[in-house]
Amino acid sequence: MAEVLEIQEEHHIDHLPTPNNGEGGEDSPMKISYGKTMMWYFLLSDAFTFSAFLISYAAIRIAQPWWPNPNKVFNSFPGMGHANVPLGFVSVMTFVLILSSVAVVRAVQEGHRMNQKGVMFWMVFGILGGVAFLSCQAWEWNHLIHEGLRPFYNPFGPDANGITHIVEEHQRWSPGPIAFGALFFGITGFHGFHVFTGVLLNIWGFTATSMGVFHRRGHYEMIEKLGLYWHFVDLVWVFVFLAFYLM
Amino acid sequence: MSAGHLSEEDYISAKAAVWRATAILGVVTVVEVAAALILGPKLPKILMNSFYAIASLAKAFFIVGEFMHLKYEKRAFMISLGVPLVFLIWAIIAFASEGHSWFLMNHPK
Repeated sequence: MAEVLEIQEEHHIDHLPTPNNGEGGEDSPMKISYGKTMMWYFLLSDAFTFSAFLISYAAIRIAQPWWPNPNKVFNSFPGMGHANVPLGFVSVMTFVLILSSVAVVRAVQEGHRMNQKGVMFWMVFGILGGVAFLSCQAWEWNHLIHEGLRPFYNPFGPDANGITHIVEEHQRWSPGPIAFGALFFGITGFHGFHVFTGVLLNIWGFTATSMGVFHRRGHYEMIEKLGLYWHFVDLVWVFVFLAFYLM
Repeated sequence: MSAGHLSEEDYISAKAAVWRATAILGVVTVVEVAAALILGPKLPKILMNSFYAIASLAKAFFIVGEFMHLKYEKRAFMISLGVPLVFLIWAIIAFASEGHSWFLMNHPK
């Protein structure tokens, strides 16, 4: 009985209180704020965009009799010259992005404790991880462009012997499936653009935290929303990694 | 979750859950890459691709569940996000078979 009276007082309802089952609009049935809900639904729509890209990639690839072997195309490591390190650099990129994501999770947790210094500390690592990932991607793109890969030209053909050294003379080779470059630059580029905007948003989040904006507001929900976006970027990378580097 | 009301025990267990998820993501990635390099050239492509797909889905579940905290949200909310993704199963099957059909058209036996 005491509980019923309490509910009545809290919601200023004149009529008798109904059981709290989320009906009637007084309560949020999903127990999640508007901002976080909308971020989730935006990410759902973004997931469909990426799925559309990756599924078109699959359809085009299945239609080809031959496709470049990722272990041969992605086998270079910065500072190691012509050493053959299949998937080495891209694995490093994957770890950089995972660790950056973890840093932002820690920032969100510190936000729940209203620990301003803690949020700032972990956001710095999240931002640095994002910048490191983008730098790695810039190196990889630069390397592949140097090897002759273009959106409408693919040097990695079936005859390219040890296909990274295609510039060597007296080697017969023919171009590979032409869509490879467009798909690679398009999809990793669209993902990289997400990383880039994520880094900018995280820098803004760090700045606002350091100015005490969220502390005065009484909660760090904004960091949670930035975190959702940032983890989504990591999530997409799992599937880009799957489609381009593993399969 | 109301801000600033995270108890010390909850905080410690949440931290432990995150580091555990990190370790799992790291190990799965290492296993995937090791499998690609060691088993990849030996085993049939279809088997390897199925393994990569399952391992990647496992990683996705850890990222969404633990990092994005979806595991701790209301069930109705999880369903509202999960159900639309069912269309992707159709899309994958439809476009893969379409791609195969293009292949057959271009390379008649």
